[in-house]
Amino acid sequence: MNLHVRKRQDAVIPTASMADIALLLIIFFLVTFQIEVDKTQVALPATGIRLEVPEEAAYISITEDGTVRVSTGEEISQIVSMADVHTFASSTVSKYPGRPFVLKADTDTPYRLVDQVIDALKQSQAETIYLLSEQEAMGAGAAAGG
Amino acid sequence: MRIRKKDRGITEEIPTATMADVAFLLIIYFMVTSTFAATRGLDFALPKEEDTPPMIEKEESVLIEIQPGGQYVVDGQPMELGDILDYLEPRLERNPLKPVIIRPDPQSSYGYMVDAFDELRQGAERGIEVKNISIPTQREIEAFWN
Repeated sequence: MNLHVRKRQDAVIPTASMADIALLLIIFFLVTFQIEVDKTQVALPATGIRLEVPEEAAYISITEDGTVRVSTGEEISQIVSMADVHTFASSTVSKYPGRPFVLKADTDTPYRLVDQVIDALKQSQAETIYLLSEQEAMGAGAAAGG
Repeated sequence: MRIRKKDRGITEEIPTATMADVAFLLIIYFMVTSTFAATRGLDFALPKEEDTPPMIEKEESVLIEIQPGGQYVVDGQPMELGDILDYLEPRLERNPLKPVIIRPDPQSSYGYMVDAFDELRQGAERGIEVKNISIPTQREIEAFWN
């Protein structure tokens, strides 16, 4: 009896497509990657209306304990005193006219601190402020409304 | 002479397994270094700083005061946040440009001001558009109001 001899094949896991997927993921990260100029950890207030903040914006962050950090949007934020916010805002407005300011304040920050920052921005002829916020939970607005 | 036959069992291929390793290392790098930045918020157009701001009589406007504990007082009446738009609706029908002033107590939290501002902005979705929202700073109140 003439038995057919089976050809032996090596077991191979095809990995070529894995590189394609990985490169697609890299391209995605490269396109969406943004340098975050202010990494202050704050609990943002939640709002129902949230508009996209322009990419080129100056940042002012205020933590619950009153620490203020500022950035023109071109460099990583640094701590300043409240008295220096007006100087910062004035120089930013004169250097980058029309640039919006993003206020990133903790929801529990005492309002008097926010008031001082808004006042400094008004006196510096800033045009627009974006109050950074998180997405309001579904139904939270109705619940708040009673 | 006997020429030895070449072994044709080995096929030519470019090794791509290591490419996936490199690609995944890059992905891990991007995943670790990237953060989910909040890039949305409420926009707030600042009025131009003028020596003589337009005079708004208190009686002409609706005043929303925010108590230190977060209670809202509208034209002297304590009110839930969700009831403010209902209160404003008939007044805005009579005068669509009626100014609405938010005046948070300096000791209150920033989050309460954002809640009130967000509530007024969301009125447009219900057909109650508040076109004239003002948040005077403490300096402005002391200079022009009292």
